[in-house]
Amino acid sequence: MSDKEKDDIGPEAFFSDWIKTYMAFWESMTAMWPAANMAAGVPKESKRDGKSSRFEKSWRSTQKTWKTWSQVISEPETMEAIFKGTGILPEFFLTLAQTGLKSFVQIQKQWLEKAEKVQDSTKSYTFENLDEDAIKVWIQLYETELRKIFNIPQLGLTRFYQEKMIRSVDKYNIFQSSLTEFLRLLSLPMEKSFQVMQEKLTELADKGNLPEDSKAYYQMWIKTLEGHYMTLFQSLEYTKILNKTLHSMSEFSEAKKDLLQDTLLYMLPVPTQKEMDELYKEIYLLKKRIKELEIKLLKSN
Amino acid sequence: MAQSKISVDLILSKLAEEAEKAGESVQKASDVLLEPLETEIAVTPYDIVYEEDRVKLKHYKPTGDTQLKRPLLVVYALINRETMLDLQPGRSVVHNFLQEGIDVYMIDWGYPARKDRYLTIDDHVNGYMDNVVNFILDKHRLDKIHLMGICMGGTFCVIYSALHPEKIKNLVTTVTPTNFDTDQGLLHIWMKDMDVDRIVDTYGNIPGDIMNMGFLLLNPARLMIDKYVGFMENMANKKFVENFVRMEKWIFDSPDVPGETFRQFIRDCYQKNLLIQNKMEVGGKRVDLKKITMPLLNFYGKYDHLVPPEACELLTGKVGSKDTEDICLDTGHIGIYVSSKCQKEFAPKIARWLKERDEDKKSSSEKKQQK
Repeated sequence: MSDKEKDDIGPEAFFSDWIKTYMAFWESMTAMWPAANMAAGVPKESKRDGKSSRFEKSWRSTQKTWKTWSQVISEPETMEAIFKGTGILPEFFLTLAQTGLKSFVQIQKQWLEKAEKVQDSTKSYTFENLDEDAIKVWIQLYETELRKIFNIPQLGLTRFYQEKMIRSVDKYNIFQSSLTEFLRLLSLPMEKSFQVMQEKLTELADKGNLPEDSKAYYQMWIKTLEGHYMTLFQSLEYTKILNKTLHSMSEFSEAKKDLLQDTLLYMLPVPTQKEMDELYKEIYLLKKRIKELEIKLLKSN
Repeated sequence: MAQSKISVDLILSKLAEEAEKAGESVQKASDVLLEPLETEIAVTPYDIVYEEDRVKLKHYKPTGDTQLKRPLLVVYALINRETMLDLQPGRSVVHNFLQEGIDVYMIDWGYPARKDRYLTIDDHVNGYMDNVVNFILDKHRLDKIHLMGICMGGTFCVIYSALHPEKIKNLVTTVTPTNFDTDQGLLHIWMKDMDVDRIVDTYGNIPGDIMNMGFLLLNPARLMIDKYVGFMENMANKKFVENFVRMEKWIFDSPDVPGETFRQFIRDCYQKNLLIQNKMEVGGKRVDLKKITMPLLNFYGKYDHLVPPEACELLTGKVGSKDTEDICLDTGHIGIYVSSKCQKEFAPKIARWLKERDEDKKSSSEKKQQK
């Protein structure tokens, strides 16, 4: 087999021949268009004002573009360039895949670093403060690391809504963390009162003074519990966490209102709370003004 | 054989005895809870004689001859409801006043709605209260009436009396906070650092349930545990159950507090303590306590955990009046009005005090003419 024959059956020749055949088929199909119309009984007069239909016109234009493109593509030089290019493809895909993998590994590395930070904190746990430290670590982790995810800028037409949604989720998480911390604080007197009771009972048992009446045990416990609560409530830490919880509850409530009432409700044919508040304020000020005028009028009369 | 330090036999027999009693009690309790109970509150008959927005003025029907020339206007707080003064027959300050021959009016602040969020202390004191006072003065053709305030309502009465002293004959304040710079009450401690702007801006009006939660947290051991343990122990006692339910009805009937009023009350009173220093401004006017020149009777509770004595007792020394009296009762914030012991002291004392000061002081020339 000569070199020329080899070339003739190579991929370039095969692809070039296929394009030519393909074009010839569609050319003959297009040429049949008027004949097909006649056969279908579409009269020549149906062409309004001697113009072709929009579909026919569009079809012919597409075919013309395709013909030009296929002629260029089926030239031997173009074919050769294309098939040389395909040799580079695996290299291209490899580069693409490597870049993607590298980014993925980078993100994974960052996450592992964040996770290690949690581990660092847990190492210092003492058994007594396990729940307290866990809550504090979670709050710190959320506020310094996880929260950053919610700060990723939102894009596109719906970015405004996405931001509001994300803000309310973020505020909810912060509120939940504060509430957990607050509830933990409230549970401490309970825990301590039981510990104190155990000690007292042991002491009384040692002395042989254990009360016979079960009510006496209850009274002993409730007094201890009350005392512990009073001590807690007067502490600075309690006031600080109480205010933090109230603050985060307000922020969540505001974000929720912003999303549900002032954004989603805004799309419905009902007034939002913000709109109603504005109206209430106007009515309030108007009523006040009317009362002032009434008093002035009465005095002048 | 050595005797055990712990009298196990005695403890076990006591437990068995208590278990038996508890069984009987549960049986009786189910009978009590399943039969009809009288738990109505605020049953003393009254007419609504004036209405403005959500605010109503109750006029109680006299039970006998009125012994005072001037009627008494009672102003309750915006927190919880005035029904506490008429909780049940036999434990009703209103009923006791009527029995003493006092003509009683009482403001019902109603339930503030969202639209009321912009109402300030000025709107309540110089608006609603002043309109109510004017209505009573017109109706009775009088120049002055007696005024009595409860808790925050007492603070409103102090402000009103300082701004409109010409309309008040005698002032009675009960568990009324006027000095907020104290660490004795937990509320005073907690409110100091509260971000009131944030809360008011978020909620508009302050939800009654949130306020109630705050009050329960003042003493969870007693208010959330011990109180209900007491109820369980006395469930077989119908009267006890009825009274308990009445109190529950009242305590959890909490209207929201108008936002702007709450904001000013916390900021000017709890956080800046302006009232007692004569620095508070209401409706553009400074509240000068020296202008309170009418007689003042000031009641407070020794064991009040909401408004401790330190928050109440400075007032009498700061007003312009020379005729003042402090009375500290051995009870708490609510006990003054509902405890059986205070029922015998509280209303009769106020009635006596008012009767002694009801008439206009005659001028020396009038006295000479009479002689």
